Parts: sequence; C-alpha cells; structure tokens
Amino acid sequence: MTSSLHFSRACIGYGAARIVEDATLVVAPGEVVGLVGPNGAGKSTLLRAITGEADLFAGDIDVAGTPIRQMTARERARVVGVVPQQVTVAFSFSAEAFVGMGRHPYLSRFGSPGEHDRAQVERAMRLTDTAHLAQRPVDALSGGDLQRLALAQALAQEPQVLLLDEPTSHLDLNHRLQVLDLVRDLASDGISVLAVFHDLDLAARYSDRVAVVSDGRVSAADSPERVIDADMLRRVFGVRAVVGIDPVTGTTAVTPVLRDGAVAAHRRGRLLVVGGSGVASPLLRQLVLDGWQVSAAALNAGDTDAHVAEALGVPFAHLAPFAPMDEDAAAEVRALAAGVDAIVVCDVPFGHGNVENLGASVGAGVPIVLVGGIEGRDYTGGRAEALWAAALNAGAVEVANADGVRAALDSLLDKPDAR
Amino acid sequence: MTSPRRDISPALAICGLALVLVAAVIAGIGSGAVSVAPGDVIASIVRGLSGRAQGMADTLIWQVRLPRVVLAALVGAALAGAGVIYQALFRNPLADPYILGISSGAGLGAVIALTLTAQATALRYGLVPAAAFVGALATMFLVVKLASWRGRLDAISLLLAGVAVSYTLSALTSFLQVFAREQMASVVFWMMGGLGSASWPYVAMIAPMFLVGAALALASTRELNLMLLGDERAGQLGVDVSRFTYFALTVASLLTAAAVAVAGLIGFVGLMVPHMVRLTLGPDHRSLLPASLLGGATVLVLADLVARTVMAPVEIPVGIVTAVVGGPFFVWLLVSGGRSR
Repeated sequence: MTSSLHFSRACIGYGAARIVEDATLVVAPGEVVGLVGPNGAGKSTLLRAITGEADLFAGDIDVAGTPIRQMTARERARVVGVVPQQVTVAFSFSAEAFVGMGRHPYLSRFGSPGEHDRAQVERAMRLTDTAHLAQRPVDALSGGDLQRLALAQALAQEPQVLLLDEPTSHLDLNHRLQVLDLVRDLASDGISVLAVFHDLDLAARYSDRVAVVSDGRVSAADSPERVIDADMLRRVFGVRAVVGIDPVTGTTAVTPVLRDGAVAAHRRGRLLVVGGSGVASPLLRQLVLDGWQVSAAALNAGDTDAHVAEALGVPFAHLAPFAPMDEDAAAEVRALAAGVDAIVVCDVPFGHGNVENLGASVGAGVPIVLVGGIEGRDYTGGRAEALWAAALNAGAVEVANADGVRAALDSLLDKPDAR
Repeated sequence: MTSPRRDISPALAICGLALVLVAAVIAGIGSGAVSVAPGDVIASIVRGLSGRAQGMADTLIWQVRLPRVVLAALVGAALAGAGVIYQALFRNPLADPYILGISSGAGLGAVIALTLTAQATALRYGLVPAAAFVGALATMFLVVKLASWRGRLDAISLLLAGVAVSYTLSALTSFLQVFAREQMASVVFWMMGGLGSASWPYVAMIAPMFLVGAALALASTRELNLMLLGDERAGQLGVDVSRFTYFALTVASLLTAAAVAVAGLIGFVGLMVPHMVRLTLGPDHRSLLPASLLGGATVLVLADLVARTVMAPVEIPVGIVTAVVGGPFFVWLLVSGGRSR
C-alpha cells in the first residue's frame, strides 16, 4: 500500500527552536493514526509542519508522494485538509459560504464556483450534518456546530489527508462521537487521517495505530493496546493508571489512579495492606500518596484491588482468579508481613480462600490497624473472628474508616513532621 | 432561518449604490456659486462628451466642477478600498489608512516632493504621487514591524504604533514647512485635506494608480475573505499568507498614496464606509469591496459638496468635514462595535 503521508527523519520547530527531532511516521490510505503525548510535546507541531506553519529543518515530509517543500499553498490545500482545535469566527458569513471557502484551492482567480464545487460543498455539509445550518450566520452558531462546519470546510477541499488537532475537545459527548465516527467512515473511503488526541480512550477507540510524542521524539506507531499501557503512562505522563479493556467497545480504557508528582516527597515506613473485593483500592491509593511504602497481601487476579495495586506499583501475592490461598501464597504473605512496620486489615469479607491473609498478619508481631468490626464478615465458621480477637488482645487498634487508619498510623508510627 | 442582512441582495445593493453615486455626482457638479439644474448638468455632460461643448456653463462644468467631482470620487473610492483591505488583513474594523499612519507616511513623501518641485510642472505631477507611494509603503512596513511581536500582530499594538508613527511623521512634515516658507500656504491647505486645486492633470495623475489598485483588490476578494478566518486557517485553505499579506499591503498603500497625493490627509472615509457597508451587506468581500468603492466615492463627493457650499464663498478643506462626522463615528465604533465584531 502506498503511503499518503510520510514523515522521514523530520526535524521540526519554529525559528531557532527545534521541537521534534528525527520523526518517522507513515499514514496509509484508509488509516487513522493517533498522536498522544503530554502538552507541549510537539503533537500539534507535527501537524503544523505539514501545512507549513512550523519549519521543517531536516528530513522530509511527503504528502501523496510529493515532498511538501515542493508544494505551493494551493497545491497542498487540494490534498491536505485540517480541522483545528477550536474555530473562531468574528465575521458573519453564512455557513454555506464558510464551507464554500474550502473550494478556494480549486478556483481560478476570477472563476466562480461551478456545479462540481457546489456539489462538494453540499456533500460536505450533508456528511457533517450541517446542511440545515446553510443560511445561518456562523458567528451565531455554537462551538459544536462550528467544529462540524470546520470539518465540512476541510472535506470540501476533497483531501487525501485529513489532519485533526484535538478536534473534539470542545464538543459535547454526542457530537464528539458523531465527528469521530464520521472520521472513521471517511478513512474507510480511503482518506488518511492523522489525529492528535488528548483523550487516550478516544485515541484507542478510533485509531488503527497510535504513536507517542514526548520529549521531542515520536515513537513507532503501533496498535493502541500495545502502545497505551501502564508503563508508557507512567513514563510519558507521570501517571499511574489502570489500563483495562472497555467492556462495551472492547478497546483500551485508561483509569488514572494517581500522579507521580502528587506523592508526598517525604518517605515513610513500610506497610502491608490486607484487601480484596475492591474494598482496599481507595486506601491503597491514599497510603501511596501519603508516602508509605505499601505492599498488599494475597489478591486474586481480576480483583479491582489487584488492578489498582498493579497500577500503583504495589507488590502483592498473586492468586489466580477466584482461587483460594494455598500454602505457597500464605508463605509469600508471611514473608511480606515480616518485613513491614505495620499492617492494615481492611473491611474485607473473610472466607476459607483468604483467611490466611489475616492469619499471617496476626502472626507477624507488628502493630496492626483493623478497619471496621469483624461482625457479619466471617464466612469461615469462627476462625476469622478468633484471629480478629487475638489481634485485638495483642494490642491491635480498631478504626472505623480510612481516615481512622491514617490517624492510627500516625500515632502508632512516626508522625509525618517528626522526621 | 436567514440572517436579516441576507435579505438585501448584494447585486441589487451595488446597483443601488452606483445610482446613488451618479446622483451625488450630478448634485456635486450642479452646486456651487453658480448652481446648475440637474437636467442642465446632464445636457452639458452629453454635449461635452460628443465634443460640442459651448458657452460659459459648459466651461464651468467641464473645466472646474467635473474634474473636481471626479477627483473626489476617485479619492473617496481609493480610501474606502484601502480601508477594506487593511481591515481584512488585520481582522480589525478599526484599521484604516489614516489611523494606521499610512496617510501621514504618504503625506510626508508628498510634502518632500512638493518642497523639491517649486512649480506645478510635469515633474511635480509625476514625483508627488510616486513619493507618496514610497512614503505609504515604508510607513506600512514600519508600523507592522513595530506592532508585531513574535510574528503576531495584535490590534492594540497596531493602533498604538499607527498613532505614534503618525504623530512623528506629521511633526517631520511640519518641520519641512519651516524650510519651505514660500510654499507653506499651499502645503498647509493640502495637508488639511482639500480638493481645491483639482484639475484634469490631477485626475490623470492618480487615475492609473487607482485603477491598478482597485483591479488588483477586486481580483483578491476570495483571499481577503479567507484572511478573515485568521492567518493559520487561510494558509490551511491554500493562501500563501505572507506573500498575500505583502501583496495586499502594497495594493492598499498604492490606493492610499493615490488619494493622499492629490487630496492630502482625509480621515475616516476608509474607516466609516467599509464598516457601514459591512453592517448592511455582510463581510463577504465579493460584495463588500465593490460596494465600499462606490460608497467611498459617494461619501467624498457629498463631503466635498458640503465643504464647498456650507460657508461659501469660503471653502472648508474636505478633510475637516469628514473628520467632523468621522470622529464621533470612530468613538461609537470603539465603544460598541469594535469589541463584538
């Protein structure tokens, strides 16, 4: 397949400032390639280099087989359409005249729009669901309508390459999906799409391939599920996140858990958290934020607590989905418990499958904080209640909730400002 | 649902404006110390065109009134056309050749040429407009340079730079007059904006400049429309923005120089006329530009008529008339329209 858009070792910037180095990227006809990355990394700069607003210092950018350096603005506008991040119009053209401006690169100096031009404008407005706005003045329209008109204007250019710079950041949910669904359909008709996304879920949902732009470099474009993972999010965005599969769309879904920058600079002691069934997730996050070095007891794969612990970088004893703890797992938890300054037991229901988490905690001989009472949570026929009572006898503190845990830890161990 | 301003067909409005201009021209020719009825004006023009001009009245109309009215029309159209271009390029309804200081630049060029050429010679007819054009062009680039910061032009800097440059150039112009005392009276009157010395040679002097400028502008109406969307968007839609900007600035400077070379500093026509037309016909330059050319011509023909007759036999410089009307209009624009449009 021939490429419609090809960056080869392109160095791009403005004036003396080099923003992106050595970028290589190919977008094939019919393909949507998403660009993701932090603010200011150079995503928009990549797009702007194609339309000549950013400088190409070295390397090449080919559009439909022609180097952009050799194209005039008119020639380029017949091949490349752009949908900007936000459209501002201070003058009251009718929507139809506004979309009609997309025909400019095809009209001769004194030529007026012909049958084909009118047909293209009409088609672009029909596709973008803006035909009913034709006679309205654009300065009286909403941001969503304007954004779709900007897309219509770009489509009126009959582009082979469509560049989208966060095209939906100002759209509501409905219009966002409408515009992106349309973009996907256009790609199916053979247009190449290069789109900057801030929303990683949308990038995963609508892109065939995704490339990461960060620190002036462009990563190799690959399928969204291979590119968007917890490791990339932490490295590029400084965010610890749960990366899963959206149950409805089947595409990658990102749930940010915490920002690295938000973790307390002050390092505190080591903790073991007994959780499961998702009850420990908020506490795990809070304790990591507070600067504790947290590990977790045994958790079943698929459990929300396991996802969150993974995202946070919290080590834990791994169990297969729905599997009970065996002797190996219990030994692993005992080993984790032996090395900590305190243990927090969350208000998780205890059954035969996980009661050894509690057993290992009580036997560790370090201060214990118990959340809630054991009443109504013991499904072991008394063993959990007995362990709970033994812990209390040995001096464990019982608290009501997460705030209680933090206060108890402060009084049991060092205060944050004591060091 | 249609916008109210779309109810006026642009073609119809342009035809209407052309008729109004014809009426204004006839009124302008007919008024003065000796008034001539409209029917006689038309008859005299027809006689003159067919080479059968005769008598005092025809001489008055052909040698005095007609060149003056034609010159007023050309100057008014040129100023309005320049205003349209500046307002599109800077996306700013407050831009006009006078406020941006371009008129002062053209004025300084013209005054230098006037001082160097003592008499109304062929040299003066050639040198004054050329010097005005060079002055206008140089000032344009100076003001744009001063108002740009990191390649961006903002409206406030543009107005401030325009005013500052305008004052400086006016001071230089006054300074020149100290050295050229014997020509002071004519230069002063010229600077206030007047058509008192109108004659056919003056018309011949600026008509080519006006025709070239207007034709180039009329050939660029689609680009002017696209420029309203911003430099970036215009570029994405196929305009070579920096090349077009310099081209259009040159065209606007040519039009400004044509007006200033013969009529001195006439303010506000380039500001008021495009704005009024935009309010009625909308922003599309395919109708805005021709309508503004016609409107500018009409306004200046009428303003000159007022200047000649209101205190007759004393003649007020036409620049005073346009300023008296235009000053308050500018304030109104600043307070209301300038913000929202």
